[in-house]
Amino acid sequence: MSSMMTYLALSMVLFIIGALGVCLRRNAIVLFMCVEMMLNAVNLAFVAFSKLHGNLDGQIAVFFVMVIAAAESAIGLAIILSVFRSVASVETTDAAELKW
Amino acid sequence: MSFIEFILGVAALVSGIAVISFRNPLYSAFALVANLLTIAGLYALLNAHFLAVTQVVVYAGAIMVLVLFVLMLLNLKTEQGKQPGLAQLATAVVGGIVLIVTALPPVLSRFQGLSSHQLADNVRASEGTVQAIGQELYSHYTVQFELSSLVLLIGIVGAVMLAKRKQPQLGPRQGGLLKGE
Repeated sequence: MSSMMTYLALSMVLFIIGALGVCLRRNAIVLFMCVEMMLNAVNLAFVAFSKLHGNLDGQIAVFFVMVIAAAESAIGLAIILSVFRSVASVETTDAAELKW
Repeated sequence: MSFIEFILGVAALVSGIAVISFRNPLYSAFALVANLLTIAGLYALLNAHFLAVTQVVVYAGAIMVLVLFVLMLLNLKTEQGKQPGLAQLATAVVGGIVLIVTALPPVLSRFQGLSSHQLADNVRASEGTVQAIGQELYSHYTVQFELSSLVLLIGIVGAVMLAKRKQPQLGPRQGGLLKGE
């Protein structure tokens, strides 16, 4: 089994675990962590392809994904905090004021 | 595939499953730290040295500390209420299996027999040292690099705005909890 296949399969399975987490969990912070895990799965595929093709473009893409993820985590956690202030919970089922 | 790759891959899968199966979000956060560290190890094995260090410092360090701070600030108990129903669980698992079965074979057949270790000529060129990444970043991606600093600045300002905004007090719980920050 070649190394490239292993990395791609691992990346895909990690992405699917993250997606399952987003489907199954209700805690907003756990959802946030699952999204981080999906981002990391894609990053792993980027780095593997970067090595396969022998240039650094994939690694640069991962660098920018990390920058965006850092900004996203600051904003996302601030949003979760403000949701917690208004509904006193981080469960996604409790923030249902707009639900019909 | 080396032994270390195998160990790190299995550890990444186990910690990934642990993230979504712990009931207590704090345990999930620690499992995610382990997951990020194993991925940093895989980066190092793929010659992406700079990214491996960045992964440990930025992801496992800064971002996860932020998550843990919020978790401890909110002082959440273990997820209450009912578990995800059997129908929901079955749908998610079947969906995941369908996704794997449909997406994996094309990818695998495309890269059959193509080993990243066989491309010896390319190994030097893709060595992600700090120098190589820096050169690439400042010669081909200068504009994007500067824009990313703007994105981070907007992120900081936005987070402060969101966290400082005064909200009408609704429940009894949040009064003393968040006032002091």
